[in-house]
Amino acid sequence: MAFDGDNDSEAHQPDEQSGFSVSRRSFLKTVGGTSIAAGVLAPGATDAQAGPAPVGPGAVPIELSINGKTHKLSVEPRVTLLDAMRDRLDITGLKRVCDRGTCGACTVIVDGRTIYSCSHLAIEMQGRAIKTVEGLTAGTVLHPVQQAFCDHDGLMCGFCTPGFVVSAAALLEKNPKPTAEQAKAALAGNICRCGTYSRVLEAVLDTKGVSRG
Amino acid sequence: MAEPQVPEVRTPAAPKQHEKYPWPEHPTLVGTRMKRLDGPVKVTGAAKYAYDINRPGQLHGRILRSPHPHARVVSIDLTAAQKAPGVKAAMNVIDPGKEVMYQGDEVAAIAATTEDQARDALRLIKVQYEVLPNIATIAQAMQDGAPKIFKDGNIAEGEAQESGDLDAGFKAAAHIVEASYETQVLTHVCLETHGCVCEWQGDNLTAWASTQAVHGTREGFAEALGIPQSNVRVITEYMGGGFGSKFGPDIQGIVCAKLAKQAGAAVKMMLDRKEEHLAAGNRPSSFSKIKAGVGADGMLTAFDAVSWGTGGAGVGAGFPLPYIYRFPNRRRKHRDIYTNAGQARAMRAPGHPQGCFHTEMLMDELADKVKMDPVEFRIKNLPPEAPNAMWRTYYPIAAEMFGWSRRHPTGDPSTGPIKRGMGCAANQWGGGGRGSKAHCEINADGSVVMRCGTQDIGVGTRTHVTMVTAETLGIPMDMVKAEIGDSNYPFSGGSGGSTTSPSVAPAIRVTSGKARDALFARVAPTVGVDAASLVAVNGRIQSKDDASKGLPWKDACRLLGTEPVSVDGEWEAGLSASGSSGVQFAEVEVDVETGVTRVSRIVCVQDCGLILDPLTAESQCIGGMVAGVNYALFENRLLDRNTGIMVNPNMEFYLLAGPADIPKIEVKLMNQPERGVIGIGEPPTISTAAAIANAVRNATGVTVRSLPLSPDKVLTALAEREKTGGTL
Repeated sequence: MAFDGDNDSEAHQPDEQSGFSVSRRSFLKTVGGTSIAAGVLAPGATDAQAGPAPVGPGAVPIELSINGKTHKLSVEPRVTLLDAMRDRLDITGLKRVCDRGTCGACTVIVDGRTIYSCSHLAIEMQGRAIKTVEGLTAGTVLHPVQQAFCDHDGLMCGFCTPGFVVSAAALLEKNPKPTAEQAKAALAGNICRCGTYSRVLEAVLDTKGVSRG
Repeated sequence: MAEPQVPEVRTPAAPKQHEKYPWPEHPTLVGTRMKRLDGPVKVTGAAKYAYDINRPGQLHGRILRSPHPHARVVSIDLTAAQKAPGVKAAMNVIDPGKEVMYQGDEVAAIAATTEDQARDALRLIKVQYEVLPNIATIAQAMQDGAPKIFKDGNIAEGEAQESGDLDAGFKAAAHIVEASYETQVLTHVCLETHGCVCEWQGDNLTAWASTQAVHGTREGFAEALGIPQSNVRVITEYMGGGFGSKFGPDIQGIVCAKLAKQAGAAVKMMLDRKEEHLAAGNRPSSFSKIKAGVGADGMLTAFDAVSWGTGGAGVGAGFPLPYIYRFPNRRRKHRDIYTNAGQARAMRAPGHPQGCFHTEMLMDELADKVKMDPVEFRIKNLPPEAPNAMWRTYYPIAAEMFGWSRRHPTGDPSTGPIKRGMGCAANQWGGGGRGSKAHCEINADGSVVMRCGTQDIGVGTRTHVTMVTAETLGIPMDMVKAEIGDSNYPFSGGSGGSTTSPSVAPAIRVTSGKARDALFARVAPTVGVDAASLVAVNGRIQSKDDASKGLPWKDACRLLGTEPVSVDGEWEAGLSASGSSGVQFAEVEVDVETGVTRVSRIVCVQDCGLILDPLTAESQCIGGMVAGVNYALFENRLLDRNTGIMVNPNMEFYLLAGPADIPKIEVKLMNQPERGVIGIGEPPTISTAAAIANAVRNATGVTVRSLPLSPDKVLTALAEREKTGGTL
């Protein structure tokens, strides 16, 4: 998340401490009505006007629907979906690896499409159906693609595996019989360091019994 | 400190089998393709890595790191940070007055309720630096008048190593090749970054750490914190890759423990991706200037090399040279160059991929001089065959599998922009083991627990421990519970140098054998035979002479009553060995208009003694070769030569192969059951980049003597050839 800021030696005031507080109306007057993003205004700045209510920068209550279950939690608007799930809800199957949308280890399915949960704010994901790797398993029965990963030894250290499994499951639910090229394309957003790729691909191509989702 | 040259391969003494518990002649489990037992917990996300541990009341730690590659820390002011929201602990990591030696060197640390709060607070720490001159590159370190950064100088000269008569060797040469080779710095890019969760209960510390060595990490914590090792427990149930970089608590682990103590709460401290690149280890660069001679008969005559490399701030960069092939007269001088960059750590087969690349490229250049087939030329110049030096046998096997006979001479004669080529290279590694201990319990209900303080870094150790125990006790694997990854279990060494399987498997064989014998002694009176005549097979304890005299496993165990079998055992000689060898062949397609290389196929022939589990052993080979593809084509830690700052500390500009970059890979494992178990973690990664580089040369007709074989280097080499009139 933080790119170079971590190593800044200069003191830098985070937003909470800057005393930045302005009513939405006066702010809009100042900037001449230009549309602004929610989340930059201080709490207490709400009014009854149309449009998204300003929230943050302090923690705000949100609701997330994950694997069919509703979770109520309180997070700052800057918290990513990934961190909200891992740090607040103890849903840790998805991993934080690059934390900037390159490696795919945090992949989740939202409304049927895969996304990088490190690259979306938790607060934006309210009202969406989020499915994680934990949500692929029916009781103790593995999803067919999870079983295929085990059968083909499509994993080693296993840290990238949940992300690969989710990407593969999303592909197979759209296209139960992908070609090798289609599978490679669907997995192109995932990186493995142990080098399990060829067996991951075998597993995906050999997965049986996924019905179109 | 230069490493010694690779010694001539010595034939090991005829392997002596363990007297009491030799590997079975007709195993039922060992040697079968065993799916890893922790597959289901890994594919469902249920496996808890250190990164996934969330303790009650847990805080998050972050470290402030130097933005400068070289500076003196004048002062650190934590006051404002300590008052920031959520902050529960803060500390200096370096004492003011001391120098930071590379970008990312640790300065101070914070623990706060949320990770974002800890990051915010880091920005409130006021550090005054006196920026000092820095050395970003080897050239800067070696130039006249370079600032003396390191106490004993920027260069550590090694002793020249010489054998034979160099002058006579060059006199006997019909052809001489003089060339320079180089390889880049890699970082380990463990997907689970380095770090741990630390929690104190009084004076006792529990650390859930991402480590390749639970016992070594326990020792590291105790030493740095000044507490007895008996007060420290390190747990590594699962870990997300180490590749040689995770053997101790590191600074971030010690800082984590101190913050946890200060805050009176558990603290999680996992590095972020940038920190991981900067401060968690790397594979050093390597450079050589070689002059080598070959006789008209294709026999190598002489080798004279100077070599150097950098492992960053004060760490060596040795590598074996020449590698494997026999130069009867040779000299080599190595120097380590220190730079203001993150410090090298062991990385999968330390030194060998470098030495292999330099030597194997040279071999192809020499083979062309005498117009010999590269495989034939290599076989001519190999050391004598031995169980740990099987290349003479493996080269023809792999060549046949690969279709080497279809190779064209250097330079693809076909028209069109896509040029195809083939290359090969060999590897060798030690991979022996010793020292592991284990504890086995057989309970009255028939269940079995095997405990060993080893850890599974992704190779399948948990599965192998279970397999060997079940094999020895003659029961199904699901009756055995393998408990590993905890320093409270009997000692086992770090998982490095391909030593885990040859250390652990013998310990498990001996310990489960002893447990079996103890069970025999307890049940023999009931069965009515001498304990020495009992065997454990097919889930039964029975007389080896009369199968009807015996009991099913569970009935036998029931005789244990309230006192289970509980025995200790350890590694003993006769079940493992050291020394493996292998060869690899690679085929590439190079687009000479774009300079882009694609690896289309790799064939690997590799041994590792007795193969416990071909499925996971093959996965090790596949993974090693994918790492080799990365080394050959993609990875490169880039430091700005003016500022010494890393320009790609991430995963989008630090390139790694993705699913579409993976060649077709064929693995042939050569079983050597008489030798016992040998590790296979490192050898398969050694020779891949060299084989690819030779294949690129064979395809394009130009020699790129520098890794990675990036498009710019390939195009530059092709342009050079144009300029010089098309000669190689």
